Amino acid sequence: MRAPSSLKQEFLRKWILGLQICSSSAKSMSISERKKAIKLSADIAMASARNGRTSWSRALIASASKDDNHGKLFVQQILGSDCERLTKISTSIKRLRCKKILKKSSGTIIRRRMKRIPDKAVASSIAKQMVNKRTQILKSLVPGGVFMDEVSLIEETLDYILSLRAQIDVMRSLADATEMMMNC
Amino acid sequence: MEPTEHRSSAIGPSLDQNALDSLQFNEEIQHLMTLPPENANSFTALLELPAPQAVELLHHHHHRRSPESNGSTAKLVTAKADGHGLHHPHATPHHFNPGANLTFPSDISLIERAVRFSVFAGINNSDNNHNDNNNNNHKVSSKIDKNNNNNNCSPETTGSVPSNSSGNLGKVKNEPAESDSDNNNPNSPQPLDIKTENQNQKSAKRKEREKKGKAATKKSKSGANDSSEDAEKLPYVHVRARRGQATDSHSLAERARREKINARMKLLQELVPGCNKTRQSSYVGVLAGLKCLGDNCSGFIVQSSVTEFGIHRGWDDESVLCAAADTSMASNMKSYVLQISGTALVLDEIINHVQSLQRQVEFLSMRLAAVNPRIDFNLDSLFVAESGSLIDSSFPGMVMPVMWPELQAHGNRQQYQQQWHHFDGHHQPLLGGAEESHNFVTPENSLLSYDSSANSATLHTNQLKMEL
Repeated sequence: MRAPSSLKQEFLRKWILGLQICSSSAKSMSISERKKAIKLSADIAMASARNGRTSWSRALIASASKDDNHGKLFVQQILGSDCERLTKISTSIKRLRCKKILKKSSGTIIRRRMKRIPDKAVASSIAKQMVNKRTQILKSLVPGGVFMDEVSLIEETLDYILSLRAQIDVMRSLADATEMMMNC
Repeated sequence: MEPTEHRSSAIGPSLDQNALDSLQFNEEIQHLMTLPPENANSFTALLELPAPQAVELLHHHHHRRSPESNGSTAKLVTAKADGHGLHHPHATPHHFNPGANLTFPSDISLIERAVRFSVFAGINNSDNNHNDNNNNNHKVSSKIDKNNNNNNCSPETTGSVPSNSSGNLGKVKNEPAESDSDNNNPNSPQPLDIKTENQNQKSAKRKEREKKGKAATKKSKSGANDSSEDAEKLPYVHVRARRGQATDSHSLAERARREKINARMKLLQELVPGCNKTRQSSYVGVLAGLKCLGDNCSGFIVQSSVTEFGIHRGWDDESVLCAAADTSMASNMKSYVLQISGTALVLDEIINHVQSLQRQVEFLSMRLAAVNPRIDFNLDSLFVAESGSLIDSSFPGMVMPVMWPELQAHGNRQQYQQQWHHFDGHHQPLLGGAEESHNFVTPENSLLSYDSSANSATLHTNQLKMEL
């Protein structure tokens, strides 16, 4: 487990890089655009703090670099020299997994005829459906989750939650600071 | 543990398809209706509805088998499971097949009870109902005419349907709205009393059940201690075939995989707050209550057909599970279901946690965007921000302005120094912990040496400049 304080430091450093771009480029952005830019820069900074070791971070960076708006700028600035290497890794992995996904097609509706069904089968089918449904939801939440199998999905979720917490702490303290400043 | 024994003693008779005859339905339904009053437990009295409702739906399904049943049953499902204080006074009577003489004592009172139950279940059980009901609600809410509370909540649901992930967000948003609407619901003051009292009973039952369920889960999950310990060590999972289980490679591999997943999920459970608490027991409580009722001949029909029915119609998991539980399930089957659905509950918690974290990020970025149109950074503010973010507990007290225009740079520094020295006394304990990393040149840690004067501050600022 990486030390959380060092994670925060990393994140903050990289995020500030991103925010500098934000401030320089966006003199006349609407508030929602600003918010998106801030969030995007924060996400990319967080992902880059992982240095491409985790799958969700790679997926995040890959999706950001394809983005039209500012994603590419952020990625280039924040990642610096690692940029090309990481984006190459991300996109290649994604392509591989896309093919896997296309091959498996999942039909989750269980059709049964109206005959005697053993209790166990009913119970297990219900339970399996429940688990599958939730797994699908979780996959949609975690970046790059759709390409992972369940086992690695849980690991990625773990890491993702930790990173999100660090990100939130940093952002909250920054926001508090600025607001206090504005008030006084 | 009375419900268990009560349950296991009454294994439902094996009915075949002929039991779908309407006369027998009538009998069963009336039998069901008379059963709850015998049981003095008001908790089960509240729950009397799901079985007859399910049977009614089933009846409806079998006799109609038409698309219009979709709307009606969806309405009922919505009434049951979405936890609003809805009243569908005209919904139910219209769905009775004129051919079948289904008689209910009073439709409206039943529906009210159903609503109460759904409210009850909706609060205690997961908000995950709405995940699946979002789509139902979306279609249904346009159909339902007079639903006071639905008007409050449906904009959220309908608005959130478009994408799955935003649907999930909407589902979580629904919860506070519903709990508010539940609490403020003026229509039924009396049910609130019953609700709270049943919540107490239910929580008592839940705790019993939780222990039993958890014990059963642990037993059935781990089996021999060896295999459980091996499952903890993630690289290799040695799975021993337990007695009575298939030993072919597929099931073994499947079991190994499952145990790997379970090991990781335990880690996640520790991480996500509140994951280990009474969520599992909420399902258990419902099941326990239902089993009190389900000791009758409708058990089998409800089991097979309603579950299939429910799965086809996209009922939320809880309804299907309750319907299936309201049968002649033996106690070991029940623990089997709980074992698997425990995973579902943990996943629920994880999903909620991730969603809440993501929402917080959005919210914070919005805050930051709103604060200052000019996001100017100079290196002083960078330094301050970095240091400030790390001192979690003390940060609110030691607020450092981050976004200053360039002109005020020097004024900032003066202010910072004053504030640091002011808080010097408070933060001595913190310094002790952070001193060991002092040698490592990071601006953050060096800030923690509060006895530093303005000189060191400028020194570190310069270092930061160099770094960047």
